Amino acid sequence: MKKEITKYYPLIPVFTAYLFLFLIGKNISGMWQLVAMLLFYCALGQAFNIFLGMTGYVDFGYVAFMGVGTYGMALAITKLAHIEGLGIGIIIIGFILALLMSTLLSMAVGAVALRLRGAYFAIATIGVNEGFRFLIEGARIWNGSEGLIFTAQLNEILGRNAASALMTFWADIIVLIIAALAAFVTLFYMRSKIGYALTALREDEDAAKVMGINVTKYKIIAFITSACFAGLVGATSWALKTPYVFPPEVFEIHYTIEAIIIVLLGGAGTLLGPVAGGLIYGISKYYLSIFLPGFQLLIFAPIIIIIIVLFPEGVVGMLKYRLKDSALARFII
Amino acid sequence: MPLLKLENVTKCFGGLIAVNQVSLEFETGQLIGIVGPNGSGKTTLFNVISGVYFPEKGRVIFEGLDITTFPPYKRAPLGIGRTFQIPRPFASATVRENVAVGAMFGTLSGKVSVEESLEIADQTIERVHLQEHRDKPAGTLTPVEKKLTEIARALAMKPKLLLMDEAMAGMHPNDIDQMVDFLKQIAIDEKIAIVAMVEHIMRAVIGMAEKVIVLNQGSKIVDAPTKEALEDPKVVEVYLGHPLEE
Repeated sequence: MKKEITKYYPLIPVFTAYLFLFLIGKNISGMWQLVAMLLFYCALGQAFNIFLGMTGYVDFGYVAFMGVGTYGMALAITKLAHIEGLGIGIIIIGFILALLMSTLLSMAVGAVALRLRGAYFAIATIGVNEGFRFLIEGARIWNGSEGLIFTAQLNEILGRNAASALMTFWADIIVLIIAALAAFVTLFYMRSKIGYALTALREDEDAAKVMGINVTKYKIIAFITSACFAGLVGATSWALKTPYVFPPEVFEIHYTIEAIIIVLLGGAGTLLGPVAGGLIYGISKYYLSIFLPGFQLLIFAPIIIIIIVLFPEGVVGMLKYRLKDSALARFII
Repeated sequence: MPLLKLENVTKCFGGLIAVNQVSLEFETGQLIGIVGPNGSGKTTLFNVISGVYFPEKGRVIFEGLDITTFPPYKRAPLGIGRTFQIPRPFASATVRENVAVGAMFGTLSGKVSVEESLEIADQTIERVHLQEHRDKPAGTLTPVEKKLTEIARALAMKPKLLLMDEAMAGMHPNDIDQMVDFLKQIAIDEKIAIVAMVEHIMRAVIGMAEKVIVLNQGSKIVDAPTKEALEDPKVVEVYLGHPLEE
């Protein structure tokens, strides 16, 4: 029984970080905006880490899953708003739809793209994101390039005050819950056969195969799980927080790049890595844009290069190595 | 019933016939050496048996079951384990985790839990005497230790047939003798047929194998008990160059 509990020790630093973020945002006025951004980046990093970090495959089309998740929530609210008495239930339906749509898209993409390896996979996935955006715009699906705006519906369903509280506070809390959930799932995977299979295939896919590992199956498990969390983050951060959705905004490759940076910065395949990466990235981005507006990318790029050169395993990867013989080791994976 | 049977297996890469009409049989618990010069098709033959390549012609039969078109991950649980020419342990994982992977996925029931696998890993690591390196990442080991990790990983699968690609390459003669003794022992203890592929370390072949299969340019030229095979005039001509000295 004691062993069962020690298994979950590595969640302590992750949850402590989230608790601190929450307390800072709640108690220091003017900080909530920054905290919300940091939570978004941490959640994004943790979601992407389940695929990028654990399999070693780089998915440049990752933001597409956030995009369809956003549309899932947007569609639920716009299409079902006229039904009386759904109330908050409509948001639950929205989340289910977001999950469903990101799962379906990831299954379709995974079935084709996961047959490719390395750079070929990465290139194929760039096409997915761009292709999906042009499909929505060109075929005028879900209102095409005019997008969906549902501020009015949200006000109508929840009432003006509740809707405003949802956008400015509760949406961020939901992101926090999603991030915590992603951390839990990551640890669960790491401790189960799935984690062993993913480590094996990340290190050497051919050797993994002859060891009896059905690599395609495990890659798809990681891919779909990661996509589901992306869908949830999209549905919350991009639909509930800002109640409108336009294809060029949600299918923006920039977010995929940010997610990759966060995961690599923090430490790919580690549990705490995406949180550290999300915090470092978010805080630097926020303050650089205040103190040196316009120059943030110019300064940020060399910082990232330096960190990657100094700690190729990421910040947490380095910490894990340094602390491996200390009492702290069991908290950091 | 032979453990493994190949029937007229042919594998081509474009116009190159890497393995040409090879038939052979391995028995349970047998120690077999596969020798042949560079490019004679040894590794391709291993890849056909472990499922990395599917043959163009012929059949692969394991314990009476036609596995010609089985993917590698379905063959491993049936009892086909393998090591690589250049050891390929999972570098970032510890020795213990490496070996546990073998126990976890390489057994037929597929119901070995993570904890059980780690226990099996500990036992197997003791057999190859790697206890002190148990919790090190496999990438940090010496080549010989990596090789032992790979062997332990394959043994944890409880294989019936173990394919060892260049098992002894780059090893000190003393280590080779130790390895030969060890392999003989596990073949007896666990009734594993061990097929060791060797390019030029005759010491290992003579010390270990009961029978030797000699390949040349993709074809099997000799399949006979070790001494007989290595004295065969064809083998001397295409492979050894001069008769082996006693």
